[in-house]
Amino acid sequence: MKKTIQLTINGQQVQAAVAPNQTLVQFLRDDLGLTGTKHGCGLGDCGACTVILDGRAVNSCLVLAIQADGCDVLTIEGLAEDGNLHPLQQAFVDKGAIQCGFCSPGMILSAKALLDEKPNPTELEIRTAISGNLCRCTGYQKIVEAINEAAEVIRDREES
Amino acid sequence: MLLPRFDYYEPATLEEALRLLSEMGGNARVIAGGTDLLVRMKLKVEKPGYLISLRKIPGLDAIVRRENHGVTIGPAVTAAELSRNELLLDRFTPIALAAGRLGAPVVRNRATIGGNLVNARPAADLPPACMVLDATLKLKSFSNEREIPVGEFFRGPGQTVIEPNELLVSIFAPIPAPWTGGAYIKLGARKALEISMVNVAVILTLQSPQGPIIDAKIALGAVAPTPVRAFAAEEFLIGRQPSDDVFAQAGVIGVGMCEPITDHRGTMEYRCLMIETLTSRALRQAYEKALTWKP
Ligand SMILES: Cc1cc2nc3c(=O)[nH]c(=O)nc-3n(C[C@H](O)[C@H](O)[C@H](O)COP(=O)(O)OP(=O)(O)OC[C@H]3O[C@@H](n4cnc5c(N)ncnc54)[C@H](O)[C@@H]3O)c2cc1C
Ligand code: FES
Ligand code: FES
Repeated sequence: MKKTIQLTINGQQVQAAVAPNQTLVQFLRDDLGLTGTKHGCGLGDCGACTVILDGRAVNSCLVLAIQADGCDVLTIEGLAEDGNLHPLQQAFVDKGAIQCGFCSPGMILSAKALLDEKPNPTELEIRTAISGNLCRCTGYQKIVEAINEAAEVIRDREES
Repeated sequence: MLLPRFDYYEPATLEEALRLLSEMGGNARVIAGGTDLLVRMKLKVEKPGYLISLRKIPGLDAIVRRENHGVTIGPAVTAAELSRNELLLDRFTPIALAAGRLGAPVVRNRATIGGNLVNARPAADLPPACMVLDATLKLKSFSNEREIPVGEFFRGPGQTVIEPNELLVSIFAPIPAPWTGGAYIKLGARKALEISMVNVAVILTLQSPQGPIIDAKIALGAVAPTPVRAFAAEEFLIGRQPSDDVFAQAGVIGVGMCEPITDHRGTMEYRCLMIETLTSRALRQAYEKALTWKP
């Protein structure tokens, strides 16, 4: 039997009826058309489905949509402001941290959760933060550099 | 990967959850973080008709200091919270360190201590840490309540003494004696998202910074069907002066307690070598931590 949930997605109030066995990633992609969140392994191993749930990066393939009732969800679609890419998105483009792009939404959201908590992370902290996100293309180095650069941009912006 | 169908309940009180569990019995599963259960349901290993969520029950996600005698940890506390809790890092170090090594941040933000214990995987991170801290688990059903030392909780891979109508409602650990230090070391093939090949939790208590060792607890994971205490190595340590040589000998004795298997993560011989090395290394770290003990 479907149940009604109410949640905030990328700052907007959403009300919808979901089946108990629907995962959050299925709900985002299939019901809301927010296909920026990727569905990879479905088992918690790849991180392609990473979203930020109440401030914390989680695998949305291992969260039931029903469990997100009352929560605040941020997906990759919610990062750009007024048509301008978020500094993390821009740095990924500039640094060549995107190849096929399948891992990028998850990587960027794991990185965002880190920078929200630690604006000035060490390289080890960056690598740990994205350790649940697999990339089969880039070899990670460029991703780490991009996150580092984005951190600088965000810090500079906040100072000025 | 689709989930089979089930009904979902979100009780707002503990009583309500226990009543649901007693009515539905074996056909219901508790869902905490879901990082184990949903995987097993997707793989069709489990097909419960009902899921009972702990999400709305107040208090289950709290870490509460009990004056000077211990700490009570709610079963729904996540690994992420355990790993950054000051009290746990300082006094119950193996729990905080083990939680910080469980999976990756995206997993730790959901995975709970209750799920990790009840799941009872031989390689799980938190069971050995709870064992060296002498934790007691409180199990509650609609009509009953009992307390089980964590060392008597595990029965085999995926098996514990918990009944289908029981809920793990809290984990209590007594505060360790003065001059105690703890450590946790996990060995996997890579740093994150990896179940252990071997893991070791250690607690060491000194009479004073000058020694000798008056208490030692060592628990090993992934080396037998359940996590095991290395009692012989503990006895060997008690009464001795801490030294690298003594820690190395304790590592050799520790291997005797284990029945490691050969699988794709490592051979039996390699695991034995690692148990020896990691046990002595963890003892050294626990000793160093003990020396920094402050009232
Ligand atoms: C990608 C990935 C990596 C992982 N890496 C690790 C790792 O490195 N180390 C490790 O130890 N584990 C690891 N795990 C396994 C898992 O994340 C942990 O065991 C976690 O702690 C389980 O907690 P949970 O809240 O998600 O449990 P759930 O999936 O919600 O529950 C697990 C089981 O416990 C039962 N249960 C939960 N809470 C209670 C309660 N209070 N009372 C009674 N029964 C209860 C459930 O019914 C279920 O049977 C990993 C999992 C994934 C997907
Ligand atoms: S799709 Fe969720 S972790 Fe792979
Ligand atoms: S860019 Fe292709 S998986 Fe990361």
